[in-house]
Order: sequence, then C-alpha cells, then structure tokens
Amino acid sequence: MEPRCEWSMSSQADIKAKGALDALTAGLQAGEDVDDLIAHSGATAAEAEGLVEIIQALHNAITPVEPGREFSERLRDELLGEHPGMVKRVRQMPARVHVAAALAVIAGCLLFVIRRIFGSGAPQEIQEEAVATPL
Amino acid sequence: MKNIFARRGSIEDLDDSALVALAKEDRGAFGELYSRYLKKIYSYVYHRTGNTHDAEDLTAKVFMRAYSHIGNYEDRGLPFQAWLYRIAHNIVANWHRDQGRRKIIALDDYVAHSLKSEAPDSQAEESEERAQLMQAVRRLPEDRQQLLLLKFIEGMSNAEIGAIMGRTEGAIKSLYHRTLLALRDDLQQMSEPAPERRLGGTEV
Repeated sequence: MEPRCEWSMSSQADIKAKGALDALTAGLQAGEDVDDLIAHSGATAAEAEGLVEIIQALHNAITPVEPGREFSERLRDELLGEHPGMVKRVRQMPARVHVAAALAVIAGCLLFVIRRIFGSGAPQEIQEEAVATPL
Repeated sequence: MKNIFARRGSIEDLDDSALVALAKEDRGAFGELYSRYLKKIYSYVYHRTGNTHDAEDLTAKVFMRAYSHIGNYEDRGLPFQAWLYRIAHNIVANWHRDQGRRKIIALDDYVAHSLKSEAPDSQAEESEERAQLMQAVRRLPEDRQQLLLLKFIEGMSNAEIGAIMGRTEGAIKSLYHRTLLALRDDLQQMSEPAPERRLGGTEV
C-alpha cells in the first residue's frame, strides 16, 4: 500500500504543479504581475522547479510578428484574383469573349485547312522568288 | 456591384463559421478570413522557420491551400482557426522534412528582427538570450514547438490547443509541463561554460 500512497502524493503534487504552470502562463498572457501570480496561484511547486523564469522568457521571446505590408498585399491579390494568373483570367472573362475567341479559333483552323487542301499561290511565288534571287 | 458593397460592411461582423460558409462562394468573404488570420499564421510560421523568406513562402502556401480546399471544409467540432493551424503545421512539417535536417539558422534573422524593433545597444544582450532560447525551442520535437507557439502567440487554452493537435486537454497540460522541464534542462546545459560554444554559429 505504501508505494501506492507515494505515487498518489507525487501525482497530486504533479497535478498541482501543472495547474500552477497553467495559471502562471495565462496570468502572464493577461499582463498580470509575476510576483502577484506566484503569491496567489500556488505556484511554489513550479517555482521550485525553476520553471517560472522559463515561462517568463518564453512570454517575452515568443511574440507575434507582423508580415511585411508588400507581402500581405501581394498575397491578397494572388488569393482574391486581383492579379490572377492566365488561366484564371481567361476563365473570368465574359461569355461573349469566350464565344468570340472560339469562333476566331474555328475560323483560323478552317482557313488553314482550306489553304492546305486547295493550295495557294503564295508559297509557290515565294519559292520562285527565292530561286530567282542570287545570293 | 451594389450588393457587393452593401455586404462588405456586414462581412466583418460575421463569425468564422458564417464567414467560411460565405467564403465557399464569395472571394470577398475569404478576404476577410485572410485579414483575420494572416498575422497569426505568419507569426506561427515565422517562429517555426526562423526567417522571413521561408515564413512568407510557407504562409502563402497555407492560404493557397486553405483557399483551394475551403469548399471541402465542414465544421465538425474543428473550428476554422484550428483547421488553418493544422494546414500550417503540415506545411511546416513537410518543409522541415524537405530540408533534410533540422535547420537552426534563425539566429541572425532573429537578432536582426529583435534589434530592429528595440533600442540597439541596451537590448542587444537580451536579444542574444532570446535567440538562445529560441534555438532551444527549435531543438524541441515538433509537437512541443507547436504547443508553445499556440500558447504564447495565441494565448490559447489547453482545450483549444488540444483541438488543433488532436489531443485531450489533460494531455496538452502534461505535454506543456514536460516541455518546460526539457527546455529548462537544455538551457542549463547551454549555459554551462564551453569555450568552443559561440553564439551566432549555425547549429544542426
């Protein structure tokens, strides 16, 4: 039974220490005075372990860091599409622009196919000119 | 256009869950979430990486991923903030993995950052101590680093941290205790006289 009692006591002290550490940390975050906190939060166990200084140091060292303004604005623009990428930009265009672009592509393809099938004088003329022109 | 401007004023008054629901269809709503959480996420990532360049790069990835996945997000007991921090944690963890080694090069940047915001001469020593402490923090396992940052940057309760880290409140309380003990021991070892130990070096 004795070992169980010892375990129980150490466990109690452990729980108390953890509670005190939490209270201290929360108090520091809230801007309370350390001495007052130690006096009122039963932090003696934590103090004995030398953890109060660590908590204070962490409180002073780990502070919020501001991102640069240029970075913040650039990322906002990228996210919200104020300067979207090419694909997004095309997607965001009105439907009539999409239709016009599709028609233009189809017309271009048709023109290309027609010229291939029926031929054109232009390439032949260019070839003839090339042959006629001495280097 | 009228609707957008009419809604803009009320967007700021919405709580996170309403804003998230709106953000699934409205970019402006996501912009408000971005404004709310940019500084927090950036701070978290900055302290995990220790330098501005990587902090900016990874913060951008966090918000890009959040933006592209917000359609799948559902508040099933995990608040939006916790969800965002989980994304940040995963991205930072992957970054550390990609580095292939635990990089503690933050000292110069850290000191520079501290000196920039404080009086140069009187605070220099304090900045060095702070840098040493942060080096010790970065030597901790990832989950412990995450716990400290959430507690000290955000002032989160153990329950809130537990929600982000997927652990119980009691487990977080115990982990915090063990973390402080580990830090204390590490700092004690560092403060032992060692002629070859020089502040400003790069430790791996």
